[in-house]
Amino acid sequence: MRQAGTYSGIRFGGGNGAHSLPLARIKKIMKRSGSGDEVKMISGEAPVVFAKACELFIKELTQKSWTLTLQGKRRILHKDDVASAVVATDVFDFLVGLVSDADGDGDDHDHHAQNLVPEERETVLEE
Amino acid sequence: MAEAPVSPGGGSHESGDQSPRSNVREQDRYLPIANISRIMKKALPANGKIAKDAKETVQECVSEFISFITSEASDKCQREKRKTINGDDLLWAMATLGFEDYIDPLKIYLTRYREMEGDTKGSAKGGDASAKKDIQPSQNAQLAHQGSFSQGANYTNSQSQAQHMMVPMQGTE
Repeated sequence: MRQAGTYSGIRFGGGNGAHSLPLARIKKIMKRSGSGDEVKMISGEAPVVFAKACELFIKELTQKSWTLTLQGKRRILHKDDVASAVVATDVFDFLVGLVSDADGDGDDHDHHAQNLVPEERETVLEE
Repeated sequence: MAEAPVSPGGGSHESGDQSPRSNVREQDRYLPIANISRIMKKALPANGKIAKDAKETVQECVSEFISFITSEASDKCQREKRKTINGDDLLWAMATLGFEDYIDPLKIYLTRYREMEGDTKGSAKGGDASAKKDIQPSQNAQLAHQGSFSQGANYTNSQSQAQHMMVPMQGTE
């Protein structure tokens, strides 16, 4: 059975930066996805997949945003560029609400708060 | 950058920790901003600069991305009466939700991961290697090694952009 420590991402990629994002954190965010107890168990590889997927996602979002920065003849990528990139890109539709929130007044850093469910099982299955 | 330490090691069960705070701890909801920032910078030319508010927005977007994909994968698991979300499910969800471009790089990444894991543990888990040679069927025959990954690849190949492709997947039983 795995220990939580396995998820620190140290072993795979500590040196070569293979996991550029912490697996334990990814797993936590996965756990609070959806409502109720949908997300019960998460295989060991799932956070690994996300570590890379999030990297790809960040790169894509950043590059699209940067294009808009340049179009505006600016040199600093701002929140508005990210918001515009989201609006302009179909696959980012699911973020539209988030960026328009964030656009309005400061940070609404609280939208997941209500979804907080008590952590039920940290069990990770080895299949 | 002041990055609050994630509780290291095993004991991150939030036992006494679910009091109704007004704000869930930041480090439970987002990936570290330093990591996000590093990845963003790599995506820009050397002279590119990123404002703090942009980093924070991307940070929120990433969490939303994880939730979005996870929910879709979770639905699939429920339909198939499985309890554990595995790597295949996530790949399927990404392909379904329009991120088919990610599939190939992810497969390569997973293969590398498995190779390293293989050094410390004898078994592959999750049953979704196919970018590699051929996964040995005996290792996890009961898992969906026969269907899901290639299905993700099919989405990729056909460039299908359908957002709601609820293909009832058999093949895990």
